[in-house]
Amino acid sequence: MKALVFAAAVAAMLHITPTVIMVKRQDAVAQLLPGADQFAARELHLSSGDSKKIHDAVGWEPPDGVVTFYIGKNGDRSVGSLIFMRVDCQHGPIELAIGYEPNGTVRAVEVTKATVEMKPWILEALHAGLTDSYRGMATTASPSGAEKVKPKIAAMPGYMAELIDKGVMHANAAYRLFYR
Amino acid sequence: MLYDLRHSDLRIRWLVTLLLATLGTSYLFGAWMVGLYAGFTPSKVGETYGPSGEAPMTMQMPPDSTIVTERPVSMAEMGEEQHHVDKNLLVQDTHVHMPMYAVIAAALAVIVLGLAIPRNVGLALIALLFAAPWLDFAGMWLTKLVSPGFAIVTLAGGWAMGLGYTIVAVIAFWQMWLPRKGDSAS
Repeated sequence: MKALVFAAAVAAMLHITPTVIMVKRQDAVAQLLPGADQFAARELHLSSGDSKKIHDAVGWEPPDGVVTFYIGKNGDRSVGSLIFMRVDCQHGPIELAIGYEPNGTVRAVEVTKATVEMKPWILEALHAGLTDSYRGMATTASPSGAEKVKPKIAAMPGYMAELIDKGVMHANAAYRLFYR
Repeated sequence: MLYDLRHSDLRIRWLVTLLLATLGTSYLFGAWMVGLYAGFTPSKVGETYGPSGEAPMTMQMPPDSTIVTERPVSMAEMGEEQHHVDKNLLVQDTHVHMPMYAVIAAALAVIVLGLAIPRNVGLALIALLFAAPWLDFAGMWLTKLVSPGFAIVTLAGGWAMGLGYTIVAVIAFWQMWLPRKGDSAS
């Protein structure tokens, strides 16, 4: 019986904490595609060759081989595009929304989802200005938000910043290689 | 029989009753959650765990060249995330849930050991309790890796879980709280 109780306690401790919404997806869309009144979903079902190409570029590929960009327009004018990107870690998943200007540079990045455990760490990284460093960056550049905020924050928020950098890097690679 | 719930101390029967009530409540919420995120039909489960959330039997293999499709969407559609479990998330789900399922099956199996039922029925019931999570996750992985048609295995696992719990709970409640005259430990 003692072993059973111990096993239950261990299993409970291993459980990933529930998901929390950091920014509603609709609010992220409004922020990242300002003024857009028409939207389209562009789905790319990647070939093996293209999956390998992105894997070779950033060590990641979409798990099910599909990348979806959301494109915003105002009348005939392109407002830009965005992609939702999930980054997994042992504390659970983080979801980012990465918006792009029509010229292909990063407009902004929002953290849309995290877990209860990670939320305070992510907030600390965001309050230190993590996402400011992504604005205007080219998709060929390496995200360095974590490097800039790490001296100002604790270890776990720093780790979260690294994960967010990684998500932005994956999104940028997808945009650079496949968005046409 | 060294351990017989019918004649056990009141405290043990109270513990088992509360354990079953708590598990039953969590199972009800589990069913609600399945309804919200995966569904109770093979096609819905196939969409959730199959490749890329497509309808069953489509897009099993990567295409020879990248296929691009574009369709209009509304702001509301972009806000609604289609719940789709990709391979990485399924790895995480399996890692997190399998130990908990094992503990639940073990707890129910310990209750089975205290029931006055034939030995082979007890063995079958314990097998059912442990087979359910195996079927559940085997179905998810087969749906992901082989064919969305295997969604039926996940559904079978879910129903087996509910069936196992119901059988154990009904017999346990009956034997613990409604003992018949002449019952004795065997």
